[in-house]
Amino acid sequence: MSGGVLDRRRFLQLTAATGGTVVLSTALGAPAARATSRLRVYVLVVDGTRPDEVTPLLMPRLHRLRTEGTWFSGARSLPVMETIPNHVMMMTGVRPHRSGVPANSVYDRAEGAVRDLDRPSDLRFPTLLERLAARGRTTGTVLSKEYLYGIFGERATHRWEPFPVLPITGHAPDVATTDALLAMVDSADPELVFVNLGDTDRVGHSDLTGTSLRVARTLALRSTDLQVGRFVDHLQATGRWSSSVLLVLADHSMDWSLPTGVISVDAILRSRAELRSSVQIAQNGGADLLYWTGPAARRDTGLAEVRRLVAAHPGVLSVHAPRELGLGPEAGDLVAYCRAGWRFSDPEIFANPIPGNHGHPVTEPIPFLVAGGHPLVRRGVVSGAPARTIDVAPTVGALFGLGAPRGGYDGSVRKEAFSGLR
Amino acid sequence: MIAPDVHLTRRRALQLATATGAGLAAVAATGPASASPKASSPVFRHGVASGDPLPGAVLLWTRVTPTPAATPGSGRGPAVDVGWEVATDPGFRRIVRRGTTSTGPARDHTVKVDAGGLSPATTYWYRFRCRGTASPVGRTRTAPAAEAPVARLRMAVVSCANLQAGWFTAYRHLAARGDLDLVVHLGDYLYEYAPGEYQARDVVVRPHEPAREIVGLADYRRRHAQYKTDPDLQALHAAAPWVVTWDDHESANDAWSGGAENHTEGAEGAWRARRAAAQQAYAEWMPVRYEPGGQLYRRLRFGRLATLSMLDLRTYRDQQPSSPVDPALSAPGRTMAGPEQLQFLLDGLAEPQVQWKLVGNPVMIAPVRFPNGLESRAVEGIAQLVDLPVPPVAGVPYNVDQWDGYPAERAAVLSHLRDRGITDAVFLTGDIHSGWACELPADPLTYPLTGDSVGVELVCTSVTSDNLDDILGTPPRTATLAVETAVKVNNTHVKYLDFDSHGFSVLELTEAGAQMDWFVLTDRTDPRAAAVWSTSVRVPAGTARVERAAGRLS
Repeated sequence: MSGGVLDRRRFLQLTAATGGTVVLSTALGAPAARATSRLRVYVLVVDGTRPDEVTPLLMPRLHRLRTEGTWFSGARSLPVMETIPNHVMMMTGVRPHRSGVPANSVYDRAEGAVRDLDRPSDLRFPTLLERLAARGRTTGTVLSKEYLYGIFGERATHRWEPFPVLPITGHAPDVATTDALLAMVDSADPELVFVNLGDTDRVGHSDLTGTSLRVARTLALRSTDLQVGRFVDHLQATGRWSSSVLLVLADHSMDWSLPTGVISVDAILRSRAELRSSVQIAQNGGADLLYWTGPAARRDTGLAEVRRLVAAHPGVLSVHAPRELGLGPEAGDLVAYCRAGWRFSDPEIFANPIPGNHGHPVTEPIPFLVAGGHPLVRRGVVSGAPARTIDVAPTVGALFGLGAPRGGYDGSVRKEAFSGLR
Repeated sequence: MIAPDVHLTRRRALQLATATGAGLAAVAATGPASASPKASSPVFRHGVASGDPLPGAVLLWTRVTPTPAATPGSGRGPAVDVGWEVATDPGFRRIVRRGTTSTGPARDHTVKVDAGGLSPATTYWYRFRCRGTASPVGRTRTAPAAEAPVARLRMAVVSCANLQAGWFTAYRHLAARGDLDLVVHLGDYLYEYAPGEYQARDVVVRPHEPAREIVGLADYRRRHAQYKTDPDLQALHAAAPWVVTWDDHESANDAWSGGAENHTEGAEGAWRARRAAAQQAYAEWMPVRYEPGGQLYRRLRFGRLATLSMLDLRTYRDQQPSSPVDPALSAPGRTMAGPEQLQFLLDGLAEPQVQWKLVGNPVMIAPVRFPNGLESRAVEGIAQLVDLPVPPVAGVPYNVDQWDGYPAERAAVLSHLRDRGITDAVFLTGDIHSGWACELPADPLTYPLTGDSVGVELVCTSVTSDNLDDILGTPPRTATLAVETAVKVNNTHVKYLDFDSHGFSVLELTEAGAQMDWFVLTDRTDPRAAAVWSTSVRVPAGTARVERAAGRLS
């Protein structure tokens, strides 16, 4: 962070209910919290959770929210089914070709390197966080993953920087994230809080029994569910529940593969040195983004040949031009999806050893529910409407009476979950 | 109106109540359908029908007999004009569409009218006029507009109605319900056999006409005409629009693109000519948007709630393997749907703006492996049920006339569902004369551990055609119980199986879930048989799981 940033924020150190310390940063000049009866919206992302995991046995608290509110049975993530782009779609309401954020990992042509889209400047579209703030409302982010904290930067009025961050996974455990959420609600009480709980995703990625028993994953689901329950209990205990709307959803789901189900575009192109040297690969688990970096004169024929070779692999489901998927030039020249039970591993065959992956279409179905004590929330509804991650911003915006951004939303207001929402 | 006359033998009722857990209170009324046609007039002897509803149109059907000589299949009788009317009330005070069409011996005096200019999701009444006579009145309903939300869609699901094997009381009970948006018929609407070749165990309840195996155009026309004189069939046709496809018996048993098990090339003419005759009669006599030489497979849409893709799994398929251990079984290029229809199916399943993707699937797609430990008579009985030349052995697919005989193509369908994360795919199936509810394993090897399912298959039983207890010659719900248990134990994705009963199913779709009710007849050979609620399963939206429902649809 630059020194200038310090000029625009102040820090608040709090003691969490579990005994830890929570440090929040707040934009200077932020309005103070208001009456308890005003609308509060909490967007909780249970990262990487599958819809079929929201069961009374595995996730009893989420299941109760699902039955008490509105459950979107056909909800889906959008391309590329990765964490950063879908969090961005939730907060902007526009597809990646407008936001500039198509995947977690891209090849940055200017820098000549593959990198995560984790910088505030990577996100080129206004989010709800600052659009609401511009209307005098307070917002907050409690994001468990370092790269999410990175890209959303200081857009929210109140921010929590994930801590403690576990090595390798780069995320804070859900108990710490929920500590921070409770502390932020108690101290600043923002009108909108955007939360990412990363445990189910991070444990899912590494669960070696993912194709069968899902032992570690099951434990993580129960743990995350406990934290969601803890937050709901807190809202109820502090009198906020009756004015609260919760949107609980995943950014993508999860699919597991065995070591035999690995696709390497690097290996596919190895026998064609002239092609391999002209292509950069940004691997996103279930999707590979391919960038032509060779001579412009050979681009079209070269890409056609790359497409043919990659599509012929038995583990490859399909190969697309990015625009077919609502992606912009940041996504490169070709996007390859794998089938269920497969994963990409690039730029080397050993680069992706983790069994749990997403980014491919089998990981599109997500849990998505609207609950809360606010009188607008409809009770006991199951909707088959095509809810998408991109619908979060228009829906939350409508709750606050916020109009569409310039150029309009690409998502829709999910009116099915509310009585009398226009 | 005639008072319900429930004829239920005490023994059969007790068997049904025991087997299904249903009390006798569940016995349905057997009164005539509320929209049942009046007694046949000399001109309109074969009833009226409607089918393939669209948001603004529905197909109307009848057959006229303008002179006594103009009998079905005769090729005789004059060309005549037939008027038609569509109204928004049963008394025809508000007629919204009318017209005149002509027919004659070239199309066996059948009439098909595509009545357009109608409003979506609207109930209409229709009738025909010919030579000063009005037809019975039929009731129909248009489909909802393509983008409309739909709170509920309820349909009958039926298959395998062998006139020789019993009475069509299943159709009568359905016609009496009054709550059906449509009737889905999954094939074997009629049978090609001669009297004595295939009936109710050893009893020919009603002999087929003509009294021979049908092979030529006149034969197929006459057989269609015979079926359409059945008052229960007429009542159900008049009560709701039908969406139909054929299976094999509309032409000949175990038909494939180049022949059929029940076709002797040469002695019974050329297969292509026989099939063309069968298909022409079908096009003439069924309320379907199909004409000879066209394609029967098609997709109907019911707002944002559902699509219904009706498949033709006989016209394009490769020959069935000779047995479940035939090495040809696993050849990668073998097809049942044909490449174009397969792509049509895959495209429909991937439609993102529609919740339920129903597939009118004439033969079962769920893999079924033959179980261990059955008595030899039961093994032989199953072989007979599925037309196997030799008794199956444990571990092999039990019926290669189903998708089990075309595993590469089935894998393409199921992996399409899995790879693309497609939800709410429901295969509605007939053919096998038994009731099933199955999940479709994403991966058969890990399914027992993960339970991961990519869709469901709901199979209605036969209206009358023989099933396992009939073949074994045992009382219902006795010897077959062990077979059903063995099949379910060896195929854990099979959640419900009834190898014995005859009857019908009713499927309801809402945004929250799908539910199918199975009803079974007390006695298919009794024209006054009751229908007893047997079981109900529910598929919660988005789950691809089969659960036992709390109760029948209300």
